[in-house]
Amino acid sequence: MCFKNLPIEFDEQGNAFLKENVANPYEYKVVQLDKEQDKLKELLVRNGFIKNIDYDPVTRVAGALAFHSVVDLQNKKVLSTNSMATLFRGYEIILKGRDPRDAAYISSRACGVCGGVHGTTAALAMEMALGIVPPPLGIVMRNILLAIEYLYDHPLHLFLLAGPDYSEELVRETNPEIADAAGKTKSKNGKIHGYDTVLDIMKDLNPLKGKLYLEALSMTRVAREAYVIIGGKYPHPQSVIPGGLSVTVNITTLNEVYTRLIKFFDYGQKVTAIWDDIFDFFLEQNPAYADCGVRPATMIDTGVWDRPGVYDASYKNCDKWGEARWATPGVAVDGEVVTTNLQQVNVGLEEFVEHSYYEKWDGHRFKEDSLGNPLSPNHPWNKETVPKPGKQSWKDRYSWDTSPTWDRMPMEAGAYSRLYLTAKAQKLPKSKFLESTGHSLKINVPGHNLPEANLEWKVPAKWNAFERNRARAYCIPYSAVVAMENWMLAQQLLREGKTDVSTPYEIPKKGTFMGVGAWGAGRGFLTHHLVIDNGVIGNYQIVTPSTLNAAPRTPWGAPGPYEEAVMNTPILEKFDKPEDYQGIDILRAIRSFDPCMPCTTHIMDNNSNHVVTREVTTCACGVE
Amino acid sequence: MAWNKRTLLGTIGYQNLSNHSIGPMLLEDIKSKDWSTHITVEEMNWGPIAIVQWFQSLDKPFDRVVLFTAIERPERQIGDVSVFKWGGRTPSDKGVQACIGDAVTGVISPENLLIIGEHFKIWPEEVYIVDVEPGPEKAGTTLTTEVGERVVEYLNTLEIVCREGWHTEDNFAILYGDQISVE
Repeated sequence: MCFKNLPIEFDEQGNAFLKENVANPYEYKVVQLDKEQDKLKELLVRNGFIKNIDYDPVTRVAGALAFHSVVDLQNKKVLSTNSMATLFRGYEIILKGRDPRDAAYISSRACGVCGGVHGTTAALAMEMALGIVPPPLGIVMRNILLAIEYLYDHPLHLFLLAGPDYSEELVRETNPEIADAAGKTKSKNGKIHGYDTVLDIMKDLNPLKGKLYLEALSMTRVAREAYVIIGGKYPHPQSVIPGGLSVTVNITTLNEVYTRLIKFFDYGQKVTAIWDDIFDFFLEQNPAYADCGVRPATMIDTGVWDRPGVYDASYKNCDKWGEARWATPGVAVDGEVVTTNLQQVNVGLEEFVEHSYYEKWDGHRFKEDSLGNPLSPNHPWNKETVPKPGKQSWKDRYSWDTSPTWDRMPMEAGAYSRLYLTAKAQKLPKSKFLESTGHSLKINVPGHNLPEANLEWKVPAKWNAFERNRARAYCIPYSAVVAMENWMLAQQLLREGKTDVSTPYEIPKKGTFMGVGAWGAGRGFLTHHLVIDNGVIGNYQIVTPSTLNAAPRTPWGAPGPYEEAVMNTPILEKFDKPEDYQGIDILRAIRSFDPCMPCTTHIMDNNSNHVVTREVTTCACGVE
Repeated sequence: MAWNKRTLLGTIGYQNLSNHSIGPMLLEDIKSKDWSTHITVEEMNWGPIAIVQWFQSLDKPFDRVVLFTAIERPERQIGDVSVFKWGGRTPSDKGVQACIGDAVTGVISPENLLIIGEHFKIWPEEVYIVDVEPGPEKAGTTLTTEVGERVVEYLNTLEIVCREGWHTEDNFAILYGDQISVE
């Protein structure tokens, strides 16, 4: 029984139904935030050491994220938090009424980093809606394309965005005692990465000059080169289409990809060794770091990388093809996996807008999915995007992001959720390179310049900022070996003469068709819910990882993942005067999620067809 | 001779933002001009880091770079065009890091490109910025009349700068990366 809060039960055959005798099964209580805010206001007036700390924008993240916190600088505690997406995402409106074939190209523009995954997710939604099954080589090459996109994204996060928070320059400013100790601490993995002390690693994490920083930049180039061989261009690939890919794949294509891919075998070993050393060191120096960004391991993922021969694009079989993926879909609540079934993942999804700049919609068009599973009026297939810009108020509305929940719980998403759920669920089909043990994921990395290695990512006891980043590091070898396994499959398919990469299709001019693309950005969970009405897009809803992570409060007052993680973060930074406080612990907590706001929130339709403009509410002045 | 300088003429700007998109909007017009073989016309929206890596991989570096874009500046009328010579100074390391953070996450910006290019020392001696005053940012797939009627002037300006560059230096104000405004 995966649902504890939604009134959904299952019969003996596993069919979902709404509990009987529940008058309004999707009712929820709206909690007013006035009292909490009034109390904070009073505290701020009475205590000079309690301060509003605002980050607007939060730097070293993608896009427009602002973060408001109230911090007790004397007792070193965070008292209140608000996560604000400061731009509106209009893609859902832009896509409405268009030819569904436009979705992959237009939705790709939702992000300047992970355009390819949006394009592919749109293609998957179309495939489900219209029953289009790509040929095996199309599926396999799409998997490789995705893995390569991750191989661009993960180093970027680890060394260019989050990494500087652990660099010698920054640590010396905020916690000189840690930098001093690093100089006296031998690294444990020096044989792999070549660094003698932890401080040596931290020096090379320094932005702009550090060797690790610069190496990451060059590795993103290697990944981009591999990407464009299949995708045509980056970040908005031209070859991703419903039904597969529009690119000719031959042995040269595979060889070109291979020469780039193998570089990530060594790099994956090095990166995991580096971050293991850094994070183990911080946690050993001060165990309180284990509470930086901590929250329960309550997370969601759609899984990625489809198996040819199993993936049939149907909603009916998505539980089977979902579990056959190289990354297992599912939901974990407080560290325990409650489902790996994509239908259940889908049915439990809702989006709320009580603290967002949107109007509530009235309709409940789809009471059930195509299999008879009940759907909430707040489910993405029912949701309508009705922007309502307004005054920023912590008591009321303060974000362009919505509050997505699964079974009425805020969920976090990330590449690490992919790793976590795959490791815990033990659903991973037999693989030459991967083994899910229930408490870890074993990754057998082929040799290149370094000898082959058996890496093991272990499910951590506490889910915090450090573990999110550590898991992200392990996602590099994970993605590289999935790419390799698919590369071998592609070779085999070519040898067998199975060279088709796409399946033709037509858009029916009449009727309603529904699909959900369930794929994953470098930052995790991604869904596109599509409704086609009489040949055009009737509704389109996008839930991104940062939609989940940056969420404002739910109507019943539960904080979004950033908000909760920061609330739990101890202030460990050293400072003499309040004005010297930099907020590094809070920033580490936020950045560990790898915020990507362009696809969370974007640009709006300006009361006319498909015209784009910007509506920005960033200033926190005069906020209630 | 200036005529033979290996020159890159690049356009920068988001799509669908009316005058702010003048770079990508005029790209095809620029390409269709009868350029001599030493001038390469390229759309430059594909990321400053990727552009840095492209420059670093060139067997023969460019001698001159001309960037065409739209930038809002005070005290100009919509449609006015200015030519600046890049002065090369960069902001603080934190500022450069912020530019890189934006660049790797998909932000398109001439300032970012200039600053990141400067940091990684890819620019030749002669880098010019030809920028048009677009007015306030608004949506649209066409240019406003004030800008649209001066397209020929912009194309002629680009041709002159590409052809003569340094030799008309006195005409150009210097633009620095730590302020992106005229000194």
